[in-house]
Amino acid sequence: MKREKPQSFNSVPIKERLTIPRQDMPEQDALLRSTNFLEVNLGFTPEQAVIEAQRCIECASPTCMDGCPVNIKIPDFIQLICKEDFVGAAEKIKEDNSLPAICGRVCPQETQCEQVCVVGKRFEPVAIGRLERFVADYAMEHGSDTTPVFQKPEPSGQKVAIVGSGPAGLAVASDLIKEGHEVTVFEALHEFGGVLVYGIPEFRLPKAILREEVANLETKGVKFIKNFIVGRTMTIQELMNDEGYDAVFLGLGAGLPRFMNIPGENLNGVYSANEFLTRSNLMRGYEFPEWDTPLYRAKHAIIVGGGNTAMDAVRTAKRLGADEASIVYRRSEEEMPARNEEIHHAKEEGVKFMNLVNPIEFIGDEQGSVVAAKCLRMELGEPDDSGRRRPIPMEGSEFVMDVDMVVIAVGNGSNPLISQTTPEIETNKWGNIVADDDGRTSMEGVFAGGDIVSGGATVILAMGAGRKSAAAISEYLKAKVGSVV
Amino acid sequence: MSLNEQISSMNMDEILEMCIDQEQQAIDLYCLARDQAKDESSRQKFQELVDMETEHKVALRKFEIEKYLELPPADLKVTDYLLEPTLQENMTIQEIVILAAKREGKTARMYQDLADHFSADKKLNTFFQMMADEELRHKHDLETEYEKEFLQEG
Repeated sequence: MKREKPQSFNSVPIKERLTIPRQDMPEQDALLRSTNFLEVNLGFTPEQAVIEAQRCIECASPTCMDGCPVNIKIPDFIQLICKEDFVGAAEKIKEDNSLPAICGRVCPQETQCEQVCVVGKRFEPVAIGRLERFVADYAMEHGSDTTPVFQKPEPSGQKVAIVGSGPAGLAVASDLIKEGHEVTVFEALHEFGGVLVYGIPEFRLPKAILREEVANLETKGVKFIKNFIVGRTMTIQELMNDEGYDAVFLGLGAGLPRFMNIPGENLNGVYSANEFLTRSNLMRGYEFPEWDTPLYRAKHAIIVGGGNTAMDAVRTAKRLGADEASIVYRRSEEEMPARNEEIHHAKEEGVKFMNLVNPIEFIGDEQGSVVAAKCLRMELGEPDDSGRRRPIPMEGSEFVMDVDMVVIAVGNGSNPLISQTTPEIETNKWGNIVADDDGRTSMEGVFAGGDIVSGGATVILAMGAGRKSAAAISEYLKAKVGSVV
Repeated sequence: MSLNEQISSMNMDEILEMCIDQEQQAIDLYCLARDQAKDESSRQKFQELVDMETEHKVALRKFEIEKYLELPPADLKVTDYLLEPTLQENMTIQEIVILAAKREGKTARMYQDLADHFSADKKLNTFFQMMADEELRHKHDLETEYEKEFLQEG
């Protein structure tokens, strides 16, 4: 179905729009920020946002929406920015994405909406992510007077339990509360947000933003319960049979750290990225001694991996005072899955990159603390299934380097707790929950989405899966009422 | 005693029996792991391994490898430097794949040694070379799976 083109508020003639340079995001000075945990990117000014929005050429057939996993009405919100209706623009985004301030910060727009932006074919694409972030922040700061008041719908009388308060769970909660269902989010940790709170550092996603999004949902009626481990505190069966939940959504994420299985991984000073980042982010290790979580200040910290988690960990190590913080990655920079922006920021902050290197052993001292890493040099072979050239070890290239902290950031698996306590729910051989496109699992009334189904992916993909599941849960609950009547 | 020395004192039936015994040991190992595994996903993985090794045993008994004609893929060496896990109850799927890949690597080396030992006998050389290639192919498949699932580089 063809979309109706939004009303244009762009006063710049089309030809001139292409001469406007992409607006740079103001950011903290690299030297200064490498010593603090304040946000790196400072966000557009209103003037910059309007100029950037005016770069949109209002394509007859815009492709940007197709690049967004939740199909945000990008052309519409950009025109509202041109009109300087920033709160309206944020509301337009929220029709499809309940967490724009978060997605504007952590989504890989360069491989999604901005990658397919028509302007980007010849020039730099419109900075859609930065615009999303700007209007979301603006609305948070100024929008309380102009944001439409949430009208509570008629109660449906049906209860939904959401397990996990990460992006998938929050998206489900946001959609289902609008349907009048009684929605409760159960979180195993003592703060809400899942990977957004334990995984992503303050300098990339300030926790205040997350708390505000959670508070918004609470205002709408979503109930949040923390320190509640589904599968231990209560099983899914107990939630449904004893507590009367009509449906359950599982958005547990992929929080089980993976190690490399090389000698020395159990030495002191060798962390999984999950532990290291959780200590710093969730347990506020970066605010020690005000907070009680100590974190080691390394002379040389190496972080093994090349994804966004590795970048978060290495930049955290640097900020914690490491004299030297290095990425050790087995392929070359070209194959790194981390966002270019994160790589660029890490380099600016003094992070060293040791590419085409892979550790094969960690060496400890008499106290059992890591003091060195034995590594191998790699060379690139033929591309693998991911299309990236595969690293092959170079025989005889071993070398040893001094390190006193190691963080393993090679990926995460799914937590086996639910599959162990709920055998009715089918899992695949990797332990991920098997669900159809709408999140239906093999157990009636139980839905799942996000990383627990797909394996580690992006925030927006988890939200997209959550929204699909919310629609399916809604349908399921309606049918359930119908069958009772 | 090295494999070469062992082989020198064996007749062909004994060599084949040694190879079949090696495959049977692997089958026994994976059956044990399959029966001990607590989750379905690990059971599935072990069953796949049992099926693979059973095929090898059949090939050795028939002393023919009709379908293994492709050239072996490159040895990725992904698991070569990893610790060899001990077979036990509740192994993780990651440990299972490492164990299996390492076993395939060792068996490939055994067949390669046999192929080299019989370099003057075209039939025997080809047979053992193909068995070595087949084991390397399995190692490659397991290591590809390992890379995809456990080295996501997130």
